[in-house]
Amino acid sequence: MSAHDGRELRIIGFLCNWCSYGGADTAGVARLSQPTDLRIVRLPCTGRMDPLFMFKSLFTGADGVLVSGCHPRDCHYSEGNFYARRRLELAKRLLPLLGFDQRRFEYTWVSASEGQRWQTVVTKFTDQIHELGPAPKVGLSPETAARMAEAG
Amino acid sequence: MSMLEELKTKIKDELPNLDWVIGWKQGFDPLQATPHFMRTEQDVDQLIYNPLCAQNLATFLPGMKDKKVGILVKGCDSRTIVELLQENLITRENLVIFGLPCSGAVDVSKVRKEIDSPGRITEVTFDGGHIRISTKQGSSSLALADVLLPKCRTNPYAMPVIADHVFGQEEKAGPCGQGESPALEALEAMSLEQRFDYWQYHMDRCIRCYACRNACPMCVCRDHCIADTRDPHWLSQETDVQQKWMFQLIHVMHLAGRCTECGECERACPMDIPILSLRQKLNREIKDLFDYEAGVDPEAVPPLLTFKVEEANINERGW
Amino acid sequence: MAAKTFLTHDDIPTWLDTLRDAARVLVPTDVDGTVKFEAYDSEREIILKAQATAPPKEAVFPQTETLLRYRYYKDPEHPETQSVDLKEDLPEDKVVVFGARPCGTRGFVIYDRVFATDAITDPYYKARRDNTAFITIACDTAEHTCFCHWVGSHPADSEGSDVVLHPVQDGYVAHAVTEKGEQLLEQAGGQKASSDQEKEAQAVQDRVMEELGEAPDLSGVPASLLQIFDNLDFWNDVSAKCISCGACTYLCPTCYCFNITDESYGLSGKRIRTWDNCMSYLFTLEGSGHNPRMTKAHRLRNRVGHKFSYYPELHGGVFACCGCGRCIKHCPMAVDIREIILRAKETADEQSVSA
Repeated sequence: MSAHDGRELRIIGFLCNWCSYGGADTAGVARLSQPTDLRIVRLPCTGRMDPLFMFKSLFTGADGVLVSGCHPRDCHYSEGNFYARRRLELAKRLLPLLGFDQRRFEYTWVSASEGQRWQTVVTKFTDQIHELGPAPKVGLSPETAARMAEAG
Repeated sequence: MSMLEELKTKIKDELPNLDWVIGWKQGFDPLQATPHFMRTEQDVDQLIYNPLCAQNLATFLPGMKDKKVGILVKGCDSRTIVELLQENLITRENLVIFGLPCSGAVDVSKVRKEIDSPGRITEVTFDGGHIRISTKQGSSSLALADVLLPKCRTNPYAMPVIADHVFGQEEKAGPCGQGESPALEALEAMSLEQRFDYWQYHMDRCIRCYACRNACPMCVCRDHCIADTRDPHWLSQETDVQQKWMFQLIHVMHLAGRCTECGECERACPMDIPILSLRQKLNREIKDLFDYEAGVDPEAVPPLLTFKVEEANINERGW
Repeated sequence: MAAKTFLTHDDIPTWLDTLRDAARVLVPTDVDGTVKFEAYDSEREIILKAQATAPPKEAVFPQTETLLRYRYYKDPEHPETQSVDLKEDLPEDKVVVFGARPCGTRGFVIYDRVFATDAITDPYYKARRDNTAFITIACDTAEHTCFCHWVGSHPADSEGSDVVLHPVQDGYVAHAVTEKGEQLLEQAGGQKASSDQEKEAQAVQDRVMEELGEAPDLSGVPASLLQIFDNLDFWNDVSAKCISCGACTYLCPTCYCFNITDESYGLSGKRIRTWDNCMSYLFTLEGSGHNPRMTKAHRLRNRVGHKFSYYPELHGGVFACCGCGRCIKHCPMAVDIREIILRAKETADEQSVSA
């Protein structure tokens, strides 16, 4: 189900394979209801999360981007998420200068057992994006617009 | 002996031990300086040093790692050398650094726009904080402070932070570090919507020549830039705003914690797009988050190559 | 040839408004300090006092040009086969380029010998070329970077133009060069130019020629460049300060190298032609990983060689350069192509003497 009446927005989630991806699975198995705007890309670690994935997503039509990984000190590779935290915080702080609301991008930590927490994170983030509405579309040519309409 | 003569003598002393020394000479007209690769004493005689010597010559260094090279640097250029050393991209032993005081570097394209006659410039002179440009039709004088490159106000180092030979003294009259970048100030005063429009408008005239990238001394991937790959397909060949603006983000993110704000990206841009402000903003955030400034301490570890288990300034969201 | 017409400065906007009814009119426009050709808008000033930053190249040879669009269809009954729909995108727009300098206009004459010959015709290029008219303004100043007179042109060259306007006091002396130009000029109004005005136009031209100074003799340059082709010391030396970006080629009115790629989005996409740039490492990178032009010296040699040797060898000695000087003026490192060709000639002569 969608948390909101009307149209879904496009939210891209980049999830660490070892925790948040499992956490989302746990939430699913427990049949916890979640909004359906999120599309998930699985990463081996948030350390793989190039901040450019976020910019590219927003530039090509996403309305929000969520990154979720292991809690600090709990990284499967010991320190991947520590590096990620620095990069992602920096990227987030650059967004307003580009004209994007900073709240379109969040990063958070959810472990594989935290199905409930995952539900809360997705619901809150989806609410936040719906509050902001669709993101501004970069260089929207008539062709791109037509293509996007066609793709639904 | 004037500073320039002193400098020339020193270069001539060092020249026998070096493959070449990189400096500046006059380009196609008296307003234009151009990089000058000096191999002989006659080459050294053509050397100039004045506020027109804007190019950051350190850009050439990573490509000549195995050569013994002498290089002339202004205060801000010297930070590039420190950063390159930090990243082990150049060899200190192969380098002789001639450090020069900077009283600001002129934005030549701004000067060409300011002077009314687009015709031939016959002479350029400097006196008392002014630049005087003479043409056949007459001459005009501009306050140096009004035609400096945007990097000059924000970069606080008038004297080199690293050098083997230092010439001249810090000229306090210089504008170094005297304020914030006007472009960044203007951007920060805008609403989100205005900023979005601002970038769409400015990026539209980008011609994708990649002068910004190739002039950048920290763009060390050179011929292997991800902007050029087809797989992964980061950018398409289309010349729309999306590709052009996304490239700037690629450049900016790859410079995070490394950019020394030498401003070569913006100076090199043939379409005069104000892209330095993006790098300046990133540096402000890095200073704020990690209390770090690139290219000052050769021993320092760049902030994105390290971490702290408890980050002092990152306030994570509670959910 | 029809009589010459005198147009006042005030006649110009009215004329452009008329032309706009039948065609897209491109004029040099200020975009935050940079001058490029944009659709005429009576609210915005037309910048004619100096050469535009970017030439009107995109009018006939856009940086990105869609050649065709495609869409794949899969048949669920026969998953091993798929069909594709193609749709060709031939340009039909009529365009008038107003206010280019003779050098910028003349660039297309150099393209014609490549894209629209008796043997080969590029339909996309040809369609745009036929649909575009040029109203050119002769120069009343010469910049330091100008060298049109070195390459067989001059500040009032009409080659490639349909109408040429000669700046005089209070306006322009205009004359049509082609039939297309006559039709355009008829719509301009104006009055017959007096003989004094015609003399004045000639005087302006003479003055600019004088400002440009004497041109060196470049007739031996194509051979010289071939002679020093393998002299890598020379090429390393002249390319030392080059940073191998594409500012020179992309702002050049005579650079026409292109790339063709398919940009796919799911099952549909388009085949596009985009400007390419011989200063880029990728220009000659082969599938095997080998690159015959692996250093910037090799690449700059190609740029200079193409313009001043290979092209003239094929096309009766005509240089593939219009002398506009944008590659010099806008080069971040101020690499000067004039200096390179003169030094090439000198080096070749020295080589001949010592051999």
